[in-house]
Amino acid sequence: MFPGASDEREETDTADQAVDPDRDGPNFVVVGAPLDVSTTFQPGTRFGPRRIRTFAEPFDDYDHRTDRHFSDLAVEDRGDVPAWDDAAEYLEYLTGTLRDVVWDDAIPLMLGGEHSVSLAGVRAVEPEVVVCLDAHLDLYDAYAGNELSHAAVTRRILEVDAVEEVVLLGVRTGSEAEWDRASEDDVTVVPPRDIADWSFGDRLEGRTVYLSVDIDAADPAYAPGTGTTEPFGLESRDMRDIVREVAPRSGGFDVVEVNDRDDGQAASLAGKLVREFVFSHADGT
Amino acid sequence: MAKQQTEVRELQEGSYVMIDDAACKINAYSTAKPGKHGSAKARVEAKGVFDGKKRSLSQPVDAKIWVPIIERKNGQVVSVDGNDMQVMDLETYETLTMRIPEDVDVSPDENIEYLEMEDQRKIV
Repeated sequence: MFPGASDEREETDTADQAVDPDRDGPNFVVVGAPLDVSTTFQPGTRFGPRRIRTFAEPFDDYDHRTDRHFSDLAVEDRGDVPAWDDAAEYLEYLTGTLRDVVWDDAIPLMLGGEHSVSLAGVRAVEPEVVVCLDAHLDLYDAYAGNELSHAAVTRRILEVDAVEEVVLLGVRTGSEAEWDRASEDDVTVVPPRDIADWSFGDRLEGRTVYLSVDIDAADPAYAPGTGTTEPFGLESRDMRDIVREVAPRSGGFDVVEVNDRDDGQAASLAGKLVREFVFSHADGT
Repeated sequence: MAKQQTEVRELQEGSYVMIDDAACKINAYSTAKPGKHGSAKARVEAKGVFDGKKRSLSQPVDAKIWVPIIERKNGQVVSVDGNDMQVMDLETYETLTMRIPEDVDVSPDENIEYLEMEDQRKIV
C-alpha cells in the first residue's frame, strides 16, 4: 500500500474530499504495473512498484508548501496488476484497469514497471499532449524486433489517436533513426542543459495532458536503480519543478523504470514525485 | 427479468451481460493471466443496450454472472406520432408503442428490427 493511501476495501472518511462533490470515491488511484519483459540492460522493474511503496514510507504526511495532508486527498491504492509475459495482452488488460479509474473521474497514478506500461496509461486517458521526462527518445519503430519494447514506447504513444504531440524533457541520447523521427513537428525534445530556461508557454492550456516520468531522466547519481543509466541527466529538483507545473493539468501520471539495483535512491525519488504530483494537482485544480 | 446464469469465462465480445442490473453488449473483453499465485481475472467493457451507458466489470473468470435474454424481433411501423410510433409485431400481430430514437427516421409501413427484453425495446 502506498503510504498515506487507503485500500479500496476500507471505509474512508475522505469521500467528502472528492474533486467532484456529486460523486463518491477517490481522487487518485495508485496502480502498480510490474512489467519486466523487454528491459534491455539491467532488469528488475518487476520490483519497481514494491520498492516505490516501501521507500515512500519515511515521507511526512504533511506538505508544508501546499499546507495539505496526503492522507486527506483521497488517494486509493488498488495494488498491482500482476504481469505476465505477453506484453500486448498485458497492456490491453492494464489499459482497461486504468480506464475504470478514468471513468470514475479519478486520476490514475501508475507505478512501473518498464516504460512500455505508459502506453496503457495513455490509451486509458486519451490525452492530446504527453509530457515525458526521460533520458532516451524511446522512438524506435521496433527494438530487437519488438514493437512493444520499452525503447519504442514514445513511438507507440504517438500512434494513439488522441495524441497530438509529445514533449520529451531531459533526453540526452538516441539512435540516428530516432533523432530523425524526433525532428518532426509532433515531437519536442528539451535536453537537460536547456531545461532551466525552457517554458511550456501556453502549450498545455485547455488541453488534456498525460505526464510520464521515466526515472532514468534523472542523473544516475540521483537514481542509480534503473535499467539503462545515462550520465549528464536532470537534477532531481528540476524534475520536481516540472511535475509541479504539469500536475494540475494532467489527467494521468506514471513513474516507471525503477528497479531494485540500488539502495533505494531511485524508488525514493519516484515516490516523492508521486506525492509532489498529488499535492500539486490537488492544489492547482 | 429474463436472464440466465453463466461463468465470466464464457463471455465474449458482441455477447450480452448484465452489469449493475442493466443489459449491456460487450465491446471489450480482456483476461489477466497472472503467474503462480494469482487467479485469472477478466475485465469486461460494455455498453447499455437500452440506455447506451458505458459500464465495466472485473471478476475472476470462474465467477457466476447473469446474461440477459434479449430477443431480436421484426415489426412494421403502423403510425408515427411525434416522438412515438405504433409498431405491429410481425409474429404476434400485437401493436405496441415505442419511442423513436433521435438518430432514426421512420415512416408508416416501414419494416424495422428491434431488440426486446421484457418491456424494454430498441431499434437495431
